[in-house]
Amino acid sequence: MLTATGKRPWTFYALAGFFALYVAFLYGPMLCIFILSFQGQGGALVFPMRGFGLYWFVDLFTQVRTGDVLGAISRSIPLALIVMTLTVVISVASGLAFRNRFRGSGILFYGAIASLVAPGLVLSIGIGLMFQLLGLPQHWYSSAVGAQLTSTLPFGLLIMFAVFGRFNRAYEEAARDLGAAPALILRLVVVPIILPGIIAVALFGFTLSYDEFARTLQTSGPTNTLPLEIWSMTTNVTSPALYALGTVTTAFSFIVIAISLTAIALIQRRRFGRTLATKPPVAAGGGAAGG
Amino acid sequence: MSARARVVLQVLPLTAVLLAFFVVPILFVLAVSFFHYDDFGVVPAFSFENYADVLSEHLTLDLYLSTVRFAAIVWFFTLLIGFWVAYFLVFHVRNQLVAIGLFLVCTVPFWTSNIIRMISWLPLLGKEGLINRLLINMHLINRPLEFLLFSDFAVVVCYVHLFTIFMIVPLFNSMSRIDRALFEAAMDAGMSRLQTVLFVVVPLVKSGIVLGSIFVITLVMGDFYVVKVMSGGGHASVVSAMFDDISVLLFPHAAANAVFLIIIVLMMVGLILRAVDVRKELVDQR
Amino acid sequence: MSGRGRIELVGVFKRYPDGTVAVNGVNLTVEDGTYCCLLGPSGCGKTTILRMIAGHEAPTDGEIVIGGENVAGRPPSQRGTAMMFQSYALFPHLTVRDNIAFALRARGMAKAERYREADAVMEQVQLTALANRLPAQLSGGQQQRVALARAIITKPRVLLLDEPLSALDEFLRLQMRSELRLMQKQLGITFIHVTHTQLEAVAVADQVVVMAQGRVEQSASARGIYAEPRSAYVARFMGGQNVLTGKFEAVANGQATLRGPLGQQFVLPQTARSAPAHPAMTFAVRRDRVRLAKQAAVAAPPVNTVFGTVKAIEYQGIYVKVTLALVMPEGAVNGADEFVVYVEEGRYFRDPIAIGEKVAGSWDIDDVHVLTGGPSAGPVH
Repeated sequence: MLTATGKRPWTFYALAGFFALYVAFLYGPMLCIFILSFQGQGGALVFPMRGFGLYWFVDLFTQVRTGDVLGAISRSIPLALIVMTLTVVISVASGLAFRNRFRGSGILFYGAIASLVAPGLVLSIGIGLMFQLLGLPQHWYSSAVGAQLTSTLPFGLLIMFAVFGRFNRAYEEAARDLGAAPALILRLVVVPIILPGIIAVALFGFTLSYDEFARTLQTSGPTNTLPLEIWSMTTNVTSPALYALGTVTTAFSFIVIAISLTAIALIQRRRFGRTLATKPPVAAGGGAAGG
Repeated sequence: MSARARVVLQVLPLTAVLLAFFVVPILFVLAVSFFHYDDFGVVPAFSFENYADVLSEHLTLDLYLSTVRFAAIVWFFTLLIGFWVAYFLVFHVRNQLVAIGLFLVCTVPFWTSNIIRMISWLPLLGKEGLINRLLINMHLINRPLEFLLFSDFAVVVCYVHLFTIFMIVPLFNSMSRIDRALFEAAMDAGMSRLQTVLFVVVPLVKSGIVLGSIFVITLVMGDFYVVKVMSGGGHASVVSAMFDDISVLLFPHAAANAVFLIIIVLMMVGLILRAVDVRKELVDQR
Repeated sequence: MSGRGRIELVGVFKRYPDGTVAVNGVNLTVEDGTYCCLLGPSGCGKTTILRMIAGHEAPTDGEIVIGGENVAGRPPSQRGTAMMFQSYALFPHLTVRDNIAFALRARGMAKAERYREADAVMEQVQLTALANRLPAQLSGGQQQRVALARAIITKPRVLLLDEPLSALDEFLRLQMRSELRLMQKQLGITFIHVTHTQLEAVAVADQVVVMAQGRVEQSASARGIYAEPRSAYVARFMGGQNVLTGKFEAVANGQATLRGPLGQQFVLPQTARSAPAHPAMTFAVRRDRVRLAKQAAVAAPPVNTVFGTVKAIEYQGIYVKVTLALVMPEGAVNGADEFVVYVEEGRYFRDPIAIGEKVAGSWDIDDVHVLTGGPSAGPVH
């Protein structure tokens, strides 16, 4: 938005200020518990800071009364990896199928969206009941996986829609013209080109699983994942150990996010130059010109 | 293999997961909603007693009113904030890379734990929290504000904190598709900037508003833990009542509640969807 | 000699399930080593034919024969054809060398060997210095050469080009045009080049095939298409001609006389028939072979002359385009109401004309070209 002189209107500053407030609103609270987690032994749940040190981090991982954090992490991370892998494979496969309308594509699409917006606890109850009434045992590596997929798959699907919507099918035709079989085309051409999208799906799959709470509540079986552990800690623990856990898990999430976004940025930069174009510059003719 | 067979194979996993972990569990919930609960546990039956209970209890009406009220308030604020944040990012930030970067800044918290983000409000809002301390130190108030935490206010703040991103993303997407030349055309026609926003931008981002609204409203309607923690027990939501039920193994009653909730939410979403063809917007097919 | 790259299309049809007919009975022969252009407006079927030759689409009827072999049912990689796509479709994640070597990789050739072959082709098109670059780092002209190299590494007998110059800006287009021509001469294989630009087709092609609505209107050399269009459609499509109709009156001394809609007398060189089956005949007069004069100065009775008012004057550098509005009687059928004259620039400015002046355009009988197929004409732009 520019005025004719190129100077920014006053609304820019107003909105920029508003945006800054929003960012502060988003990150401020987390910053607070981040700071508070570094308190010393006399620390409390509120300000002011009492002491300084890594006391509560040690407390978190060593004390039994703070719960089985290490155990929960040892389940949450493999679970997230499993869900991430399944989400990527299933989303890519479905995305490929959805490129052309097929019978039932509408139902499947709306079904996926419905699965996404359905209340997590209701689904969790339902899956729990299903396993119970069928006499099947529930575990974090079976029932929880299925439950979490009901929220990661729709996201993965939507991302794949966006990716394939921009994907120029001429690449596949060119590969076919040059003699490549369908499996080879998928491996050598399609997957490498949509790799940034795949990384995005993986990011969603991993983080949504790692933080998934409502759907996992009734489906993780006898052991807890990390979010479930955190939940029980909010009712039991009245010390900054909870904040320390928040800091640790959020830092971990940030690392995962940073790695994914950097990978995507690097790939895009290398392939498409400094712009954010999705097609190589110059000869971006696009679609068939009839005839 | 034939094209048809390949497509079937490609969507088989998705269909299987959705059937096994979405459709069938809902059917189980439906089934259990007709079960009977006696002193010894859940007994398979076919009875409408749970629905009778749900529909006649005063509690149900209270819960729905309360939850819908929250949904409406949260919807209003997330839309207001989300709209202007998206507007700023799309139309005021000149460098596209910077815009994407700032957009990611808004999105990053979404990839962290909601529960952690929720409890991170505790040291801020409490009677001894940071906000109260600051206000007292600045001599703006004498006694700490009690309504900041364990209240409706805290619940709404937390919902807005968690869910505004769901408004920002569809709005950002819709706004990005607007042809910038329209702004110049509006300017030529003599429209003020506010008029341009109202008469040009808003109609064109209708689908984004619809999508964001569906997300926010269903998320609030389906929440149980924010309300539990942030209202200090003062309020419950529909789903938190369900949570309480299953804590004492009252599955049939919770199931009936769940079915009823699903119907209500489907009706709400159906009403909203009359506005726009969402699939066309999302899939962007040529 | 029939030649490896000789293409024959016999009775080819393409009908889609929803009823649209993209190709409506095409018979065409392209000799080996020819540069052939398929020319026509959007929707005329030219790209569909290209894709059917390539094997990316199958004809619903008819035969496609390449180098004497019927290629029905064969996949694209087994026809000896290679296609260059409109947007080039260079794989963005592969280097130039990997892009070029792709076809060999698809056939399972080992890396060292296919790199050797790719290097040889890169030498041929002068891309060796760019071997390790990614497509995003190349200019438009370089990208086209990579697309070309990628296609010819399999030593095809036919190269199919789908509007290869459409996406380029004007200046680049002219440059790339001559590179393509040169390439074709060097390789000696058949090129089939699809375009909707008339001047591009006549510039590069040995054989121009004008298409409309799924059918071939005319297939001839570039000069043949431009100077001797067969039908009114081709004449109008190529530009450069005025199309007129007249009712047949008499034939004598190798000349036929027609009566125009306004009573004008047109004299044409006689064709084989003594009297045509259809009383209305159509003929074309080249726009640059018409002389303009003020109406008063025309001798009477005028033969091969039209009268009109100057409607528009457009300076085109080498010539000045003068458009006349002809006076037409009510209910005139398919008569032209516009008449265009290209006046040589120098001559125009020695005696300029103003808009609204009444002028007369006349031509010699030798510059008349009789058209077949009646006065009908498809959509033109």
